[in-house]
Amino acid sequence: MERRFSFKLNGREVSVSTPPAYTLLEILREKLDVTGPKEDCGKGECGACTVLMNGKPVLSCLVLISQAQGAEIVTSEGFMRDGFPDYVQKAFVDNGAVQCGHCIPGFIVSTEALLSRSPNPSLADIKTALAGNLCRCTGYASIIRAVEDAARKK
Amino acid sequence: MRLSDIDVVQPETLRDALSVLHERSDSIKPIAGGTDTIVQLKERTLQTRKLLDISGLGELRYILRKGSIVRIGALSTYSDIIQSPILNSSCRMLVEASKTIGVLQLQNRATIGGNLANASPAGDGIPPLYALAATITVQNHKGTRRIPVERFFVDYRKTDLRTDELITEISFEAVKKPFDATFLKLGLREAHFISLVNVAVWIRWAPEGASFSDIRVALGAVAPVVIRARKCEEFLRNRTLGEDVIWQAGQIASGESVPISDVRASAEYRRAVIPSILYKAVNRLIDSRRMWERP
Repeated sequence: MERRFSFKLNGREVSVSTPPAYTLLEILREKLDVTGPKEDCGKGECGACTVLMNGKPVLSCLVLISQAQGAEIVTSEGFMRDGFPDYVQKAFVDNGAVQCGHCIPGFIVSTEALLSRSPNPSLADIKTALAGNLCRCTGYASIIRAVEDAARKK
Repeated sequence: MRLSDIDVVQPETLRDALSVLHERSDSIKPIAGGTDTIVQLKERTLQTRKLLDISGLGELRYILRKGSIVRIGALSTYSDIIQSPILNSSCRMLVEASKTIGVLQLQNRATIGGNLANASPAGDGIPPLYALAATITVQNHKGTRRIPVERFFVDYRKTDLRTDELITEISFEAVKKPFDATFLKLGLREAHFISLVNVAVWIRWAPEGASFSDIRVALGAVAPVVIRARKCEEFLRNRTLGEDVIWQAGQIASGESVPISDVRASAEYRRAVIPSILYKAVNRLIDSRRMWERP
């Protein structure tokens, strides 16, 4: 029951042949080897699989590949600049916002989306934007500092 | 049934979608934003061989106001609702409630029609529609039904929607002054939680401003479906407002609830907290009127 689906992934056109009810996350990780987004809860609670779909953060574990046909998808990898961390990723490193690192790709995507729509976010804006991303290591304080730092450096 | 075994049909128009449903309504299950449906498929509480993916039907994604009537296409996402200038000016309650539904990543996908079809008794999108006395429009291949929201929900997770029908629109009368309706929810943390109890209140002030000439109180998560606290409404209608009156109204509303105990709270706690949440909601309406009328 495979069908072919095409979409834009981190700026390049990709096309995969797959059963239509696989999740976007499964296709990214298993077929396209884009392993930034992670599957933790698989049901919309942790945010580790966050990607941009047509510019908006969504959970790739709750999008069917058939629903991503023709869409523009950006993962944490898509924000790299010539293979190096961009200003948001660098701010996370500089502020010690990464411990085990598992949740960080999701946080990066949510932060990039926040800073592109609101370059000078308030603390409340940051908390709302990151409310869907769970981190079990940092206690969030360093992550919030990283976002504030990134906003200053944008 | 694994996700890989499920076929997905993607109609181009509502008409096509309804004719597919007509032909095989027993074997196909509609999916919109997927934020509930995909979880249910993974957990196997929903089993199907075929999905009818209606998420691409742009004709069901709109928010309009014609005269005093507001119409929301069933595939409008909660982000669409939160960002809608029409709803921000004609029904702030629905915007505020939508902001508390899940988190941004879910609001970007979850649709108001999907939320209704899923019929969770704790769904935060539903009590505001009871307080607005909204109408749910559904269609099958032959025609249209318009169902008052209270009749749409039949029992715990059961709706009046037939297997060959799709929800197409939610409509209601615009709130006259944007702050004459409010929504509050109570949970165990500040974001991303399922309500223990929630309340939506819609009012009309009596001309002298000391009482409500009309009121609708909807309570969520305290019964198998959202309920209207009609005795409480009757008690408050045209009664001069005061601390004692508002507390008494809350006690009456509490008596109208039939909550259960679950992992989030006991039935006793839910009953006990209803007067407080109603007190807070009514006082918020009183405060907004003062703000509104300040020159």
